[in-house]
Amino acid sequence: MPILSMRQIWKYYQLGETRIAALRGVDLDLEEGEFVAVWGPSGCGKSTLCNLMGMIDTPSSGELQFLGREGMSLTDDEKSELRNHSIGFVFQSFNLIPVLSALENVMLPLQIKGISSTIARKKAEESLEEMDLAEHIHHRPHKLSGGQQQRVAIARALVNDPMIVIADEPTANLDSENARRIIDLMRTMNGRKNTTFVFSTHDRRLLDRVKRQIHLQDGVIVEDRMLADEAS
Amino acid sequence: MITWMKIAIRNIVKNRRRSLFTILAIAVGYAAVNVFGGFTEYIFKSLQDSFIYAQGNGHLTIFKKGFLTQGKLDPFQFMLSEAETELIRELCRKDPRVMVVTPQLMITGLISNGSVSTIFVGVGRVPSDLTFVRSRATGMIGRLKLYEGRNLVDEVPHGVGLSAGLAKKLDLDQGSEAIAMSPTIHGQINALDMQVFQVFHSPYEELDDKLLMAPLDFAQSLYDTTSADRITVLLTEDRSTLPMKEHFERIFVDAGLDVELMTWKDLSIFYVKVKDMFDIIFLFIFVIVFVIVVMSVVNTVSMAIMERTQEIGTLRALGLKRRGIVKLFAIESSVLGLIGSLVGIVFTFVGWGLVKVIEPSWIPPNIPYRVPLEVHLVPGYMAVSFVFLILLSVLSAILPARKAALKGIVDALGHV
Repeated sequence: MPILSMRQIWKYYQLGETRIAALRGVDLDLEEGEFVAVWGPSGCGKSTLCNLMGMIDTPSSGELQFLGREGMSLTDDEKSELRNHSIGFVFQSFNLIPVLSALENVMLPLQIKGISSTIARKKAEESLEEMDLAEHIHHRPHKLSGGQQQRVAIARALVNDPMIVIADEPTANLDSENARRIIDLMRTMNGRKNTTFVFSTHDRRLLDRVKRQIHLQDGVIVEDRMLADEAS
Repeated sequence: MITWMKIAIRNIVKNRRRSLFTILAIAVGYAAVNVFGGFTEYIFKSLQDSFIYAQGNGHLTIFKKGFLTQGKLDPFQFMLSEAETELIRELCRKDPRVMVVTPQLMITGLISNGSVSTIFVGVGRVPSDLTFVRSRATGMIGRLKLYEGRNLVDEVPHGVGLSAGLAKKLDLDQGSEAIAMSPTIHGQINALDMQVFQVFHSPYEELDDKLLMAPLDFAQSLYDTTSADRITVLLTEDRSTLPMKEHFERIFVDAGLDVELMTWKDLSIFYVKVKDMFDIIFLFIFVIVFVIVVMSVVNTVSMAIMERTQEIGTLRALGLKRRGIVKLFAIESSVLGLIGSLVGIVFTFVGWGLVKVIEPSWIPPNIPYRVPLEVHLVPGYMAVSFVFLILLSVLSAILPARKAALKGIVDALGHV
């Protein structure tokens, strides 16, 4: 069974009196352990697709199933629980809580889940160590470089052992060297934990590191290529 | 919970200037309510003590049933006989919560200095009982000098006190002699010599040219009676007034006495009116404080929400439920409310201390000379306003926080 399944997903936005279709009948299945890049030019619907996959937005029409559960029928609280337990997020602007240290930021999803501080601290430390950030765990975000902040964000996304990590343009605010390192890191984690990763990008140079490329144009998937052998 | 508290405190520190203004608004509001509350408490306590102790009216007054309604036209029909007075004293004195049981007799008549006469309204009291009652006064009232001259004494029934206005009207001074005239209860005119022992200020300005205070023996001789028209009861504690009233009512019924009891509050109309007035002023101040605190907290929380909309989106994406967002900001404003109230306690103590040190004085209504102005510390007010302001801070945050929690996650994440 796919982790995530989308059938005929449409998403409209209302801009004044104009209705714009950001996604036009998208069909998509994501399996466990995949490492997927959604790519395309600006405005093609990458972020919209990521938002829908991450259950932080609702499609205008279509069917979306997450682990066999019908996404459209879930309440807000159920979606929140689903996101907390099964989905990790990495954002373009890192979105770390500025008043919390790296460690406290990574502990957040666990504490939202209700896990005790002691256990959360231990897991967060392990997660940060995996990201090679053991020396920075007590630093606040503004004391970290962009690449370090994004690694903290990845640690936060993975700390709850989610089924899937959604990363919307995770490298857009990084230089090419850091961008490559972040994608490599996600790839490593994908291999190590078998967590599904989906990231959106408009940088074609990063596409050779993925197992699957989904090319989006004007809200439509124009190409869905499996590159498992090439990437590995 | 610790994490949310951590976020709250760190954000308060981060926005220290804004937080400081909110905390100051809460603290000043808290202090305003409590200093004014402490001042009103001083007024209430002074009026209460003035009526109970300084004026010697005690906590409870016992009348013959009907005296207060029909007795104004024919008071002699509603007098308490010597036997009834003695029985009431005996019954009351059995209770250890009773300190003094003393009869009184109101009298009216003419007072003359030999050449000029004028009307007087007087009261006859047992001087030793009155002295004891007055000695129980504490605070500002306990320190007040209530008259110029000598104490009235049981042994000299013709030694009386006159209100300053009356003494002036008749050109009488301490040691002067005068004559009081009045019909007895049997209808004959009676006249008694008297000597002015003391001159006092009337608690009611409009009566300052009419009041006379005499020993009970004098009043009874003038009216040619051994009866009294009321019996004053002083209790050990003010708070026992109501339960003791009910207790005595039962006892007097069982003893077959046809009497009615009034508390000092029932009889002190001035106290009730002043209290009502100050309660309204207090409410007015409380509403102003309420509005200032609500506006400050709403403003602070709204600003925080606006600045941290992306953070709200992030927390929601990480799985925090809507009520979690509300809780986050509620905790933040409760911390503001807590710190504000704690600072407010300090401000209240500072205000109280300043009044103690500076010792300002004023002329309150119905007292013709300056008296010390005091501010009492009222733990009840302080505790209630402490809890209330924290709750108010939390409630003020809930509406904007709820609005933020209902915002779409994608919109929140995209907020700049």
